[in-house]
Amino acid sequence: MSTPTEELQARARSLLEGGEVDLVIGHGQGNHPQRTTPVFITKADDVAQLVLSPFCRNNLANWLTRKDIRSRFKRIALVAKEPDLRAVIVLIQEHQVDPQAVRLIGVRVDRPGDPSSPCALLPQTTLEELQKHLKGDFQGRDLTPDQLRQVEELEKRTPAERWAFWREQLAKCIRCHACRQACPMCYCDQCVATMNQPQWVDTSAHPVGNFAWNTIRAFHLAGRCINCGECERACPVGIPLMLLNRFLARQVKAHFAYLAGYDTEEYQPFASYKPEDTEDFIR
Amino acid sequence: MNTKVLKASNLSAFLDAVLKTRRLVAPKLDGDLIDFREVRSPAEIASSRDYVNPRTSVKRFFFPRSEPLVTFARTKDGFTLDEPQTLFPPTVVFGCRPCDASSLPIMDALYQWDYIDSFWFKRREATAIVAVSCVRADESCFCTALGGAPNATAGSDLLLTPLREGEAPAEPPAFLCEVLTPKGEALVALAPTLFTDGSGDKQAVRRTADEAFAALPPKLDLDAIAAWLAKNFENPRWAPSSYKCWGCGCCTFLCPTCHCFDIVDEGTLRHGQRRRNWDACQFATFTLHASGHNPRPDQAARWRQRVEHKFNYYVQKFSVRSCVGCGRCIRHCPVNMNIYAQLQEIGTI
Repeated sequence: MSTPTEELQARARSLLEGGEVDLVIGHGQGNHPQRTTPVFITKADDVAQLVLSPFCRNNLANWLTRKDIRSRFKRIALVAKEPDLRAVIVLIQEHQVDPQAVRLIGVRVDRPGDPSSPCALLPQTTLEELQKHLKGDFQGRDLTPDQLRQVEELEKRTPAERWAFWREQLAKCIRCHACRQACPMCYCDQCVATMNQPQWVDTSAHPVGNFAWNTIRAFHLAGRCINCGECERACPVGIPLMLLNRFLARQVKAHFAYLAGYDTEEYQPFASYKPEDTEDFIR
Repeated sequence: MNTKVLKASNLSAFLDAVLKTRRLVAPKLDGDLIDFREVRSPAEIASSRDYVNPRTSVKRFFFPRSEPLVTFARTKDGFTLDEPQTLFPPTVVFGCRPCDASSLPIMDALYQWDYIDSFWFKRREATAIVAVSCVRADESCFCTALGGAPNATAGSDLLLTPLREGEAPAEPPAFLCEVLTPKGEALVALAPTLFTDGSGDKQAVRRTADEAFAALPPKLDLDAIAAWLAKNFENPRWAPSSYKCWGCGCCTFLCPTCHCFDIVDEGTLRHGQRRRNWDACQFATFTLHASGHNPRPDQAARWRQRVEHKFNYYVQKFSVRSCVGCGRCIRHCPVNMNIYAQLQEIGTI
């Protein structure tokens, strides 16, 4: 019987050998037994670099919109866990990814980061099948009980307490923009934070600049964040960014009954208009 | 200069003496990471056994992530310029590792190159470094590959090395204290009775550091690497080496020797500040010209810049490498980019 890693390697090999793709983006071994690092496989003989383990953490959908990759490779296969699939679905909704140009290698990692977590290659191979699987398996379970408890605790605090909390947390921000670069949804050619004519956001890592940057980042993800947690994992100074994202995701769910990244045919709440919308500012 | 012994039980008393006249900065547990913070009591300081290296480097106590250079205001007759109210309080940085300490002389070379940077040097002058030798290293550390060591003295005013009795892994009973500069002597003079003569204990230091040495890589052939870099600006290897880099500033902002900055004006029409902020060569906009042309158009060019700058250009300019092997850019890279592996690869071509 072959291991999940061997099955993954075999799938990647057949895609490359069959000429269906010219690049496979997956996870390889990092510099620590419990770390992985993205790998970019162009030759069937290199598929041995691919691993499937509970330590596959990076959201690889991020690379589908990167110019460095798109300018060099036309047909890409992506090793996609649940959050990666959800990210791909949002990118398709937003017309950033051509569903015809991407082959998805669906995998499941039941408890990311837990060494004893089961991992498996999914039998579904088409976007439609994977989307169906996602809906059946994950719909409505967008937050773990722990994540929900943390957001609820924050919601219970007074505005003054929340202000004090975020003031302290955002004071740590060094403006490295790892949160932005980590986010599969942050694909803008030019980010509002780096525009300087006019300068919308102070680039200084002082309270004004840090508040402006971190709130803009969170607002732009409302109704789009798929809860992969890459921004928080990437943050080198330990700011709990996902608290903000999950807070907003809960608002969107409450007001629009919408969870991001489950259906390419769905309209996004902040990118769509319906005649029966109650607000009249748009008419 | 000379060598003393400081009993571990006297360390708090020594730091209390420091706190009477100086600001004290030391590693402290914050959430689930250990980073440098200003502390008001030795009890706040994380034990040096609990970290390989604090999260960010010591550079921000000399080159802050954002600082005003000048303030300006519009008046009826024109405008006024004023010096910012920057303070340079006497400070002791305690508990940094020898790699961080050794970054400071490397940065001095740059900050006095074609212009003496008074902000950097006023802080250098006001600050003493009390480093603590490493007793362990992790898979990202590579100081020895660059000629450094877990108990190297460069850049420190005092270097404390834990002395162990036998193999007991408990709190070290004492530190060997190497007094390396007049600033270090002045610190010892704050509480001279806490220190005893330690000139006979050099062997103990060697033994203690062995454990960290064992986990660290051998020296790289840095001359050969610099020669390869000088000839391979256009090498096709740079592209695949950089595919996974997503272009954030994590590596450069945590790096003790990355020093690039941007100068911006902030404020209203009436008054404002000119500020200096950290900037990173890994950002796509770092070299973007006003014309729209970008001489480093892709991540391959930007990753190449980071490696070339540290191991070729800086060496040509200042005869020293702009890297100390602290490993932060590997340890905390969200995608596990690995500059050490890159150097190894270059070394074997």
